[in-house]
Amino acid sequence: MSEISRAARDVILAFVDDEHLMGQQHTEWIGVAPFLEEDLAFASIGQDELGHAAMLLEALVGSDDADIDALAFYREASDWRSCALAEITLPEWGDTLVRHWLYDAAEELRWQLFQGSSVQLLADISVRALSEEQFHRRHGNALLDVLLCVDDARDRIMASLHKLLPVALTMFDGAPGEANAIVEGVVSGSLASLQGDWQLRVDDRFGPVDWDAVDSDGVATPAPSQRTQRHDDFAPLLARMLEVLDLDRTVTW
Amino acid sequence: MATFEIFLKKDGRDEFRHVGALDAANDELALISARECYVRRAEGDRLWVVRRDNILSPDRDFTAPNADKPHRHHSGEAVAARRKALREMIEAQTDE
Repeated sequence: MSEISRAARDVILAFVDDEHLMGQQHTEWIGVAPFLEEDLAFASIGQDELGHAAMLLEALVGSDDADIDALAFYREASDWRSCALAEITLPEWGDTLVRHWLYDAAEELRWQLFQGSSVQLLADISVRALSEEQFHRRHGNALLDVLLCVDDARDRIMASLHKLLPVALTMFDGAPGEANAIVEGVVSGSLASLQGDWQLRVDDRFGPVDWDAVDSDGVATPAPSQRTQRHDDFAPLLARMLEVLDLDRTVTW
Repeated sequence: MATFEIFLKKDGRDEFRHVGALDAANDELALISARECYVRRAEGDRLWVVRRDNILSPDRDFTAPNADKPHRHHSGEAVAARRKALREMIEAQTDE
């Protein structure tokens, strides 16, 4: 994988880790989602996100499973590049649904940054991912279309939104090598450059948000750190992810 | 919530076949759920999602009388048997 520079690795890893953790978060609803049809739909979306992570991991280390597992699971916490939104544990379905919407609204914009990538493989992956994201977004929108029209449900969704908005902004914290990756043409812009378009999407979906008044009294929100700091929920999340794998790291599942 | 019946068609000349049902709050969620519940492994490439309320389904008395009309069955066996008997009779007469 010699064509992947260190800067490219940084921006790819930031995306890998977000996708991997969001996929994990979604799959933790298998069997306990509010109703059967949603259980299956959400599991499919989680699978897609894990698939995106797997494709990007393969771009980084090749197709050997051991190499992929080493990078995907066995790094020091400080070497992960996930954002806090993907790391936090949300036991309430309403919070989870809002996170799903907020994340996918940004994820679609993120893939667009890879569409004209100087690394052809990344451009190719973005085509597939974008085709899947349109269905993820349609799913989130369809549920919100119904719930936002019911007073009680709307109150809960809006409470979730305001709780999660501060931590959602961690999505736009770029990894250390991002500036160089832009110069190299790996991505066409920074994560921070997407925030304006994302905020317009949020306003359009939920009604105008007073963005100057967004504060962190909802979920503890880490300060921007170029994704080098982990949320408190990260360690238990990673432990859950490793629970089966660590039974025997050498076995082929 | 409403119940929707799901039909799938594979490529080619296969007909649409009923594959199951699901509950959904509206048409859009029914389509999305159908996609995820019944074609997530590409089991078909055409999908019909039909509100059960929109299916016309008369009670059993409407169709029951037709269970007792053997003369409407046209398997051809009876005709073939008569033709065979006739052929054998003609052959027997010719031999004489």
